[in-house]
Amino acid sequence: MTIRVKVLDRPIEEVSYIRSTLSGLATTFKHMIDPHKVTMQYPEERWDLSPRWRGTHRMLTTETGKAKCVACGLCPTVCPANCIKLVPGEDEEGNRYPLIFEIDEFRCIFCGYCQEVCPEEAIHLGRHYENAEFSREAFVYDLERLTAQMHPVSELWDPADPSGE
Amino acid sequence: MSEPREVKMVSVTIEGRTTVVPEGTNLIEAAKTVGVLIPHYCYHPGLPVAGVCRMCLVDVEKFPKLTPACATSVMDGQVVHVHTEKAREARKGVLEFLLINHPLDCPVCDQSGECELQDYTFQEGRATSRYEEPKRFNPVEDFGGDVMYVPNRCILCTRCVRFMGDVAEEPVLNVSERGDRAYIGKAEGHDLTHEWAGNVVDLCPVGALLSKDFLNKARAWELDRSATVCTGCSQGCNVTVETRDNTVVRLKPRSNTEVNHFYLCETGRLNYRWMNRRDRLDQPMVRVQGALREVDWEDALDAAAAALGNREVTVLASPNASNEALFLAERIIAKHGGQGVFRVERGGEAPLAGVPDLSLRAERAANGTGARLLGYTDLAEQRKPLQIGADSAVLVLDDLLEGDIPDAVQQLLAAGARLVHVGTTLPDAIAARVDVALPITNHTEEEGTFTNLRGRVQRFLQARTAPGLARPSWFVLGDLTERLGASDGFYTSAAVFDALAAAHESYNGLSYARLALRGLPVLDAEARGLTVEAIHA
Ligand code: SF4
Ligand code: SF4
Ligand code: SF4
Ligand code: SF4
Ligand code: FES
Repeated sequence: MTIRVKVLDRPIEEVSYIRSTLSGLATTFKHMIDPHKVTMQYPEERWDLSPRWRGTHRMLTTETGKAKCVACGLCPTVCPANCIKLVPGEDEEGNRYPLIFEIDEFRCIFCGYCQEVCPEEAIHLGRHYENAEFSREAFVYDLERLTAQMHPVSELWDPADPSGE
Repeated sequence: MSEPREVKMVSVTIEGRTTVVPEGTNLIEAAKTVGVLIPHYCYHPGLPVAGVCRMCLVDVEKFPKLTPACATSVMDGQVVHVHTEKAREARKGVLEFLLINHPLDCPVCDQSGECELQDYTFQEGRATSRYEEPKRFNPVEDFGGDVMYVPNRCILCTRCVRFMGDVAEEPVLNVSERGDRAYIGKAEGHDLTHEWAGNVVDLCPVGALLSKDFLNKARAWELDRSATVCTGCSQGCNVTVETRDNTVVRLKPRSNTEVNHFYLCETGRLNYRWMNRRDRLDQPMVRVQGALREVDWEDALDAAAAALGNREVTVLASPNASNEALFLAERIIAKHGGQGVFRVERGGEAPLAGVPDLSLRAERAANGTGARLLGYTDLAEQRKPLQIGADSAVLVLDDLLEGDIPDAVQQLLAAGARLVHVGTTLPDAIAARVDVALPITNHTEEEGTFTNLRGRVQRFLQARTAPGLARPSWFVLGDLTERLGASDGFYTSAAVFDALAAAHESYNGLSYARLALRGLPVLDAEARGLTVEAIHA
């Protein structure tokens, strides 16, 4: 069965593309001379992040370079995404210390509760956003990786100072 | 048994709820009966009242001032208020004083999450401290045994001192120094290497006395708990198994005033590592053309049934097997003839002086009495040598066959009989000989009952998942007996126990529901000479 296609005979000024092309180009030229640019020249230029930006984690260390974490177990308990794996144990001096501390950054929802609950000010969220990796496994940050991160850390919202002054 | 003494009952109203309790009950216990918890530290139902912590102050109508609930017996018609402004204010003050020298190191304190100082401070303490002076500091001390003392966290409730003095009757601990320098000291030249000393860790309401074994292993709130019975000896102490990620990390006593009151001995407490064994038998195996092959359950059970056939069977059972498993194995003996034997490790006795009839018993297994009641003989008491015919069968029921294997067992295994092994591991001693090996779960992975040396039948519940294809012992033996025509098959361990109760007079009328979590004695415990009274008579 053949399908009949109805061909409409429209006037040329309606089907010509010249007019819309010109109007599109006009918009382009208008933006070329507009001083208010919105495109950022990444990576030469970067965003200024809010002090309260919550990005991937960083574990702070003591002067001796050891993680401050004492494996108290509060952050895995509070974490709503259940993405922190902690196995407590002891370090060489017999102090409480995490044998395994891993955060699955894929499952993390960046709520910041772990930073808020940490009694040792050890685990922090980071003020950065460059997290690309070549594999999924690389998004599970272990203690070594967390302590090696050097980016600035997030400041949490302080109820006593709601607007951050 | 003597007639219970006539006890006068008195009625008391606590927080608007009226309760009737025996005269002489203190307010803390009376309040428990109406579901009110009066905060307390130094009081413990198993210890003499000391009245030193002042945490239990409550408001009693017509009393001029607040009164310590632990040291006040109920009086008829008394009206008690726990949460009046005055009482709360007083307890808040007590808490503030307890905390002035407290290090507040909850993040690294093992007690955190099960600490009464945390709980009550959270409930009714001050949110912030007003104390600005430097805190007192004393170093951590090893108290010997499994106990470690962190003096900075101690609130000097003296529970540990009273336990060692009045219950263990070995007054090793004391309060040394005075005032804010006071701490718990141990008597010169002594330490807590006492079979029952580990209980001070449970009694300590804070993290001052800690178990060295459990130190830094887990958080209280991460643990899953289930009720079980200790397999350390034939006393049958009630225990809570605590697991983290399916691994048993510690055992805690579960109170049962008929058996172990509030206590647990060191041998039992530290007897948990075998529960986490990795080298388990976790696949049913059958010998095919000389080699053991992994097969599926149906084939393995068929092979086991064929190996046992109509042959006379000698069952070598573990005295830690549940009554259910022992009963089903006994059904096979009843059907085809044979005998049941077990062997049990023995050690020294260690009674807890201040508690009647509580001791680490010589027989170091949970269910020797259960096995005897079901007709099994202890090889140590077996006079005549075991008779095993050439065309008979041996069923090993979870005897681990480790260490020194007695001659009688060697002979049993060396005989040309067919050999079926139903166990949690595949012992080297028989790996080369066994015809069929059926993997079962250990007692933390299944439910069942044990009968303790006083004939008390007690249930234990499942605490962790089984490895591989292992099945509960009652399940495996239920299927096996069904194939052998010795039972109709079972779907629950409760049904196995019901069949046991129907078949054995001692257990008549008992059921899982009636046993509940505190157990009941077998009906003829007295007649069989199991009870203390019977032994003394
Ligand atoms: S930010 Fe929130 S979700 Fe992410 S690890 Fe911390 S607590 Fe968990
Ligand atoms: S809350 Fe802080 S100290 Fe506690 S486990 Fe997490 S990172 Fe470690
Ligand atoms: S004893 Fe209790 S309050 Fe004190 S540090 Fe330990 S958990 Fe915290
Ligand atoms: S060590 Fe524990 S039980 Fe002993 S007095 Fe101190 S707080 Fe009480
Ligand atoms: S519990 Fe009453 S004074 Fe300590």
